[in-house]
Amino acid sequence: MTEQLRKRMARSAVIALAAGLGLAMTGGARADEDVWPSLQRDVFDSRPMTENEGIIQIDAPERAEDAAVVPITVRLSPSFKEPVKSMTLVIDKNPAPVAATFTFGPAAGTVGGERRMSTRVRVDSYSYVHAVVETADGKLHVAKKFVKASGGCSAPAPKDADAETAELGKTLVKSYAPAVDTTPLREGQIMIKHPNRSGMQIDMETRGYIPARFVKDIEVKSGDDLVFRAETGISIASNPNFRFTYANAGDKPLTVTAVDSDETKFSGQSAKEPVSQ
Amino acid sequence: MCTPAQLQVITRPGTEETQTVAGALKRSVSRRDLLVGSLAFSVAPALSHFSAHADAIMAFTEIAPGIFVHQGRFELQSPLNRGDMSNTSFVVGTDAVAVIDTLCSAKLGSELRAAIRAVTDKPVRYVINSHMHPDHVFGNVAFKNDDNVEFIGHHKLARGLSARADTYLAANKMMLGDDAFAGTEIVLPTRGVDDKVTIDLGGRQLTLEAQSVAHTDNDLIVSDSATGTLFLGDLLFSGHIPTLDGSLRGWLSLIDKLEHYKPTRVVPGHGPHAMQLPEAVGDEKRYWSTVATDVRRMIKEGKTMSEATKTAGQSERDHWKLFDQYHVRNVTAAFAELEWE
Repeated sequence: MTEQLRKRMARSAVIALAAGLGLAMTGGARADEDVWPSLQRDVFDSRPMTENEGIIQIDAPERAEDAAVVPITVRLSPSFKEPVKSMTLVIDKNPAPVAATFTFGPAAGTVGGERRMSTRVRVDSYSYVHAVVETADGKLHVAKKFVKASGGCSAPAPKDADAETAELGKTLVKSYAPAVDTTPLREGQIMIKHPNRSGMQIDMETRGYIPARFVKDIEVKSGDDLVFRAETGISIASNPNFRFTYANAGDKPLTVTAVDSDETKFSGQSAKEPVSQ
Repeated sequence: MCTPAQLQVITRPGTEETQTVAGALKRSVSRRDLLVGSLAFSVAPALSHFSAHADAIMAFTEIAPGIFVHQGRFELQSPLNRGDMSNTSFVVGTDAVAVIDTLCSAKLGSELRAAIRAVTDKPVRYVINSHMHPDHVFGNVAFKNDDNVEFIGHHKLARGLSARADTYLAANKMMLGDDAFAGTEIVLPTRGVDDKVTIDLGGRQLTLEAQSVAHTDNDLIVSDSATGTLFLGDLLFSGHIPTLDGSLRGWLSLIDKLEHYKPTRVVPGHGPHAMQLPEAVGDEKRYWSTVATDVRRMIKEGKTMSEATKTAGQSERDHWKLFDQYHVRNVTAAFAELEWE
């Protein structure tokens, strides 16, 4: 298996299913099995990582009430001032464990406060969530948090199936006004109406899987500068939602362009007036 | 058909002795769960310890002539309660019987069927599901072999339930245990209600109206022409905290609409056997309004979903059973909906 395919599989159970491999990669993992070593090997090429340095914190509910919408926030301590190249969010026991890989650009912001990324994920069974941060010097830093939830990947997404179809692709971009104009970091948010179908939801009448369709690439810019680019997979909850800090460089428009696995493109831009807090 | 006078329910809260029914029905029943009907007078006490017998007779109250309602417990499904945690009703006409909601297992569905048979020998022609949730549809299978029976639900019920079938079956099997869950399978509606359908039971008609998305995207309201009774399914919760699997905004506007209805009584999906409008929806309206107000304020203040799950609607805590089991999930769903406004 090529490295590319292996990494791709970690992001998308679809390929695994299509290839007739079932969920062989990690989906069949027993509850007590530690799958992290194999993920470290497959996703991070066994590169060394440092853990428990107190620089990364993961906020997640210990017990998620809705396994299909589990809010996760990754925080970098304000005392940690290294520029960050990328951050990978892994739900160890999910069939497609890599929820997202964020690659940060010049507008992501570095020093001057706590850097944060929040999203909502699906959790298929009791699992560790890992956040792996790669600093500009190429070093990997990792933190983990255990989340009790199950059934998130096969849970049917839309509560209102017709509205979900009608509003597909609706995109909201918010830029929150910083408390103080001179604050180095401010917050933005992007929201995309999309069922993010996992390919693991079953249609009872056909006894077949509802085909996967998910947002796979997202690019966020502040003015002309890249905030981040994200490769995303089916572990991201329906209606993908990201809230993040970025460099405060005045009220430049925040824009998002996204592509889903059907190659449909979505885009949006923040309102001229930022959202006041 | 039994008249109200003939049908009595022995209810003695806290008593858990078992009685043996003499005569035709030789099986043990709990006093608390005993539907007596005309059997009341042939019961000879024979005390022993209560146990949840698979063939216990389910307790029904005749809330109006020909309308029988069983009240479920305010509990989550468990092997101990065998999933007896939602309301079910049946309506008896001069020609036929209609069932509204069938509880959450084949066994409870069979007990519901046995309870109907203890009251009338009229055929069960209609099995109506108020919406797709397991505790309202999983007993359908008990009526599968009845002659000419129609299963009726909102036209979106089949799609919604099909998409969730495996999840629902697995979750309920896990919660109820193999024994209580045995024999359960999904029976989808054979007839969908697009807008409004009227069925005739002989001497009374039931009108079935499909609603727009509220508790789920497939809620159905049933009204009885003979008594003016309105069956609201899970559009009405009382005592048991409401749960959101549709649209908060849709539900609130439906509650406003309900306040203008003038039924003689309403039957909730979870709550007492019968209630009066508009008071019946008061608690539910306050709960959802509070959640909506708190969540909207937090969204406006730039707060996150996680923050909202910790504080929004907490003032409602003491008003509801099962608050800890469902409230955070409700806030999560409310936030995910309202943040798009």
